[in-house]
Amino acid sequence: MWDKVLTGFGYWDVYSWLAFFLIAGGMIFFLRSFGRKDYKQGTDQDEIFFGSNPVPEDGEDLKVPASSAYWGYTQALKPFYEGLVGLHTGIATDYAGWYILVTALVALLILV
Amino acid sequence: MNWQEHLPALLLAVPLFGAFIAPLTVLGGKGLRNAWFLFVSLVFTVVAFLLWARVGAAGPIIYVMGGQGWNFALPSGMSIPVRILMEVDAFSAFMVLLSAVAAFAGALFSINYMERFSGVEKFVSLYFLMIAGMFGMEITGDFFNFFVFLEISSVASFGLVAFWRDRGEALEAAFKYMLVSTLGAMMVLVAVAFLYSRYNVVNMAALGKVIEWGMVEKTALVLFLTALAMKCGAVPMHMWMPDAYAEAPAGVTCALIAVSQASLYGLFRVCFTIYGTFMGSPIIPWVIIVLGVLSMFIGVSMAVIQKEVGRLIAYHSVSQVGYMLLGFGVGLLALGDARAMADYGFTALKGGVFHIVNYTMYKGLLFLAAGALYYATGSRNLNDMGGLGRQLPKTMVLFMIAAAAIAGLPPFNGFVSKLLIYESSFAVHPILAVFAMVTSVLTLASFVKIFQTAFLGPELKKFKAVREVPGSMLAGMTVLAVAILVLSLFPTWSLNHLVEPAAKALVDQASYIGAVFATAATGGGL
Amino acid sequence: MIGNFPYLVVGILFVMGFVGLVFEKNLMKIAIAMSVVEAATNLFIITLGYRSGGSIPVWTMAGGGSSRMVLPTPQALTLTAIVIGLATTALMLSFVMMIYRHYGSLDVRDVRRLRG
Repeated sequence: MWDKVLTGFGYWDVYSWLAFFLIAGGMIFFLRSFGRKDYKQGTDQDEIFFGSNPVPEDGEDLKVPASSAYWGYTQALKPFYEGLVGLHTGIATDYAGWYILVTALVALLILV
Repeated sequence: MNWQEHLPALLLAVPLFGAFIAPLTVLGGKGLRNAWFLFVSLVFTVVAFLLWARVGAAGPIIYVMGGQGWNFALPSGMSIPVRILMEVDAFSAFMVLLSAVAAFAGALFSINYMERFSGVEKFVSLYFLMIAGMFGMEITGDFFNFFVFLEISSVASFGLVAFWRDRGEALEAAFKYMLVSTLGAMMVLVAVAFLYSRYNVVNMAALGKVIEWGMVEKTALVLFLTALAMKCGAVPMHMWMPDAYAEAPAGVTCALIAVSQASLYGLFRVCFTIYGTFMGSPIIPWVIIVLGVLSMFIGVSMAVIQKEVGRLIAYHSVSQVGYMLLGFGVGLLALGDARAMADYGFTALKGGVFHIVNYTMYKGLLFLAAGALYYATGSRNLNDMGGLGRQLPKTMVLFMIAAAAIAGLPPFNGFVSKLLIYESSFAVHPILAVFAMVTSVLTLASFVKIFQTAFLGPELKKFKAVREVPGSMLAGMTVLAVAILVLSLFPTWSLNHLVEPAAKALVDQASYIGAVFATAATGGGL
Repeated sequence: MIGNFPYLVVGILFVMGFVGLVFEKNLMKIAIAMSVVEAATNLFIITLGYRSGGSIPVWTMAGGGSSRMVLPTPQALTLTAIVIGLATTALMLSFVMMIYRHYGSLDVRDVRRLRG
C-alpha cells in the first residue's frame, strides 16, 4: 500500500524525546517559581479549597474512590458494558465452553 | 570452551536441581532457604545470558539428550533424528534471556514478600519446577517434549496460584485455571499425535522438512493454535487469566507472565518454522489477527472498570497479548510474499518480538508493584487505598516507569514496539491500527486511574504507619526497571542486537532445519 | 472399515467428555469428564500405533522381526500421558475437596466469587 512504512528520524529518536521532556520540565519549574512564599502555615491559607465547606480532618472523607472513576464513560457505554460483564460469568464450565466453541469455529473455518 | 557446548542441558539442569534440593533447605532455617533461592536464580540467569551470547555468535545450536555425543543428531543409517534434542536458535535464546530476567526478578521479590508465611521451601521448589518447565518449552526441538514441559510448568503453576490456601478465591482461581489448561494440553497432545501419525516423527525440524498441507495438518494446526492461544490469554478464552494472576503471590505472577510468553513462543514456532509458507490460504493469519484485535479491545474495556489492582493489571495482560498476536498475524500474512514482507511484514514481526520483551519487563514490574501495595496495605481493593505516595515513594517511582511504558508514552520502550505494530497493521487495513490506538488510550486511562487512586490523593489516617517495602522487594522491582530503562534509552541497539536476530531466525526455516540435518555430513560425535 | 472402529470410539469418548465438561454442574462430575477426555486422548495415541497382524513391540519376543511389531513409540508417549493425567486428576480432586471446605457447595454456579 505505502512505499515506505517506517517513519523517518525524529519520531522515536530517544534523545529528542528526552530533550523535549527536559525542556518541558524546566518550563514547569520556572512557572512554579512564581508562587508566593509568604503564606502562613497551618491556617486557612494552607488548606485546599473545598467549595467553601469545612475541610474534613481525615482524608478518607475527602478522596474520590476508584469505583466512581470514569463514571461518564461507563454510563455512556452502559449497554455495551452490561453485555460484556454479563458474559464474564465466573462459572468454570463456561470457560471450557468458550474454548471448545472457538476451537470448533476455527476448525470449521479452515476445514470447510 | 568445551563446557559451553552443554549450556542447553545446564539451563534445564540448574532449576531442576534447585527444585529438588529446596525442600531440604528447611533444615538450615530461613537464611539457608533464601540463600539457595537467590543463588540458583542467579546461576540460571547467568547460564541464560551465556546461552544467548553463544547463539548470537555461533548460530542455531543443538544438543542431543542421551546420545553418543552432544551433537549426534542422526545416528548411523537413520535419516530422521530419533533422540530428543534441544534446538536453540536466536528466537529461542531471546525468549530464554527475557524469561530468565523475569524469573530472577520474581525470585528476588519473593524472598521478602513470602517471609510471613510458612512452607516457603515448597514454594521455592514449585517455583524452580515452573521455571525449568518454562525453559524446556523454549529450547526444545521435539514436540512431545514440548507437551511434557508444558505440563510440568502448568502443574507447578497450579500449585503456586493456590499457594494461599486459606483464601477460597485462590483455590477457585487455581481450579478454573487448571480446568482450561488441562483441556488445552490434551488438545496439544492430540495435535502432536495427528502429526506423528502422518509422518512418524515428533522432531520439530524433521517435521518442518517433510510437512505438506492436508486435512490432518489443518486439524493439528487448529488444535495447536487454539490451545496455545488459550494459554497466552487470547479472548474469548482469557477468563482464567484475571482470576489466576490476581490470586497468585506477586512474584509468582511475574514468572507466570514469562510462562505464558513461552506458550506464545510455541505457537509461533509451530506457525512459522513448521508450517511456514505451506499455509496456503490466508485464513489462519486472519484468525490470529482477529483474535488479537478482540483481545486488545475486550481486555482493555474490562480493565477500565475493575476495582481490584491485580485483576485490572491482569486484564491488561490480555490486551497486550492481543498486540503481539496482531503483530505476528500481520507478519504471518505477509510470509509468502517477498515484497509484502519487505514492506510491512518484517516490521510487524520486529514489533511483535520487541513487544514480547517489553511486555514481560513492564508487566512483571506492574504486578510486583501491585504486590508491594498489597504487602504494605493488606488490601487489594483500590477503594481502600489512597495517598500512598507519601509512604511508598520508591514504589511510586517504579510504578510510574512501568505505567508510562505500558501506556506507550515516548521515550519508553512500549512506544517503540507499539509504533512498529501500528505502522505495519495500518498497511494491511487501517481499522486494525485504529483499534490498536484506541486500546492504547484506554490503557493510559486505566493506569492513570490506579496511579491517582493508590498513590496520589489526600493522606489517610489508617496508612500513617505504613513503611516502605523491604529491600529485596525493591531490588526485584529495580531489576525490571533497569531492564525497561535499558530498552528505552537504547532502542536502536535493542532492535539490532536483540530483536532483529530473533525475528530473522523466526522467518528462516531453512537454517532451523539445517542445524539438525547438517550433522549427517560430519557423522556426529564429539 | 472395521479397522476404523477404535477411532469412532475415540470420537464418541471425546464428545462425551466435552459435553460433560461444559454442561455438568457438580465439580466432581467435571473432574470425571476431564478424566474421560484424557482417556480418549490416550486411546487415540495407542490406536495410532497399531499395525495389522503385529505383535507386542518387544524385539526379542516379536517373532518375525520388526515388520511384525506394532509401533513402540506411541506406547511410550501414552505411558507418559497416562502419568501426567494421573497427576492432574489427583490435583484437581484435591482442589475440589478444598473448595468444598471453603464454599460449602460443590455446585459450579456457587463457586463464583471471582467474576466480572
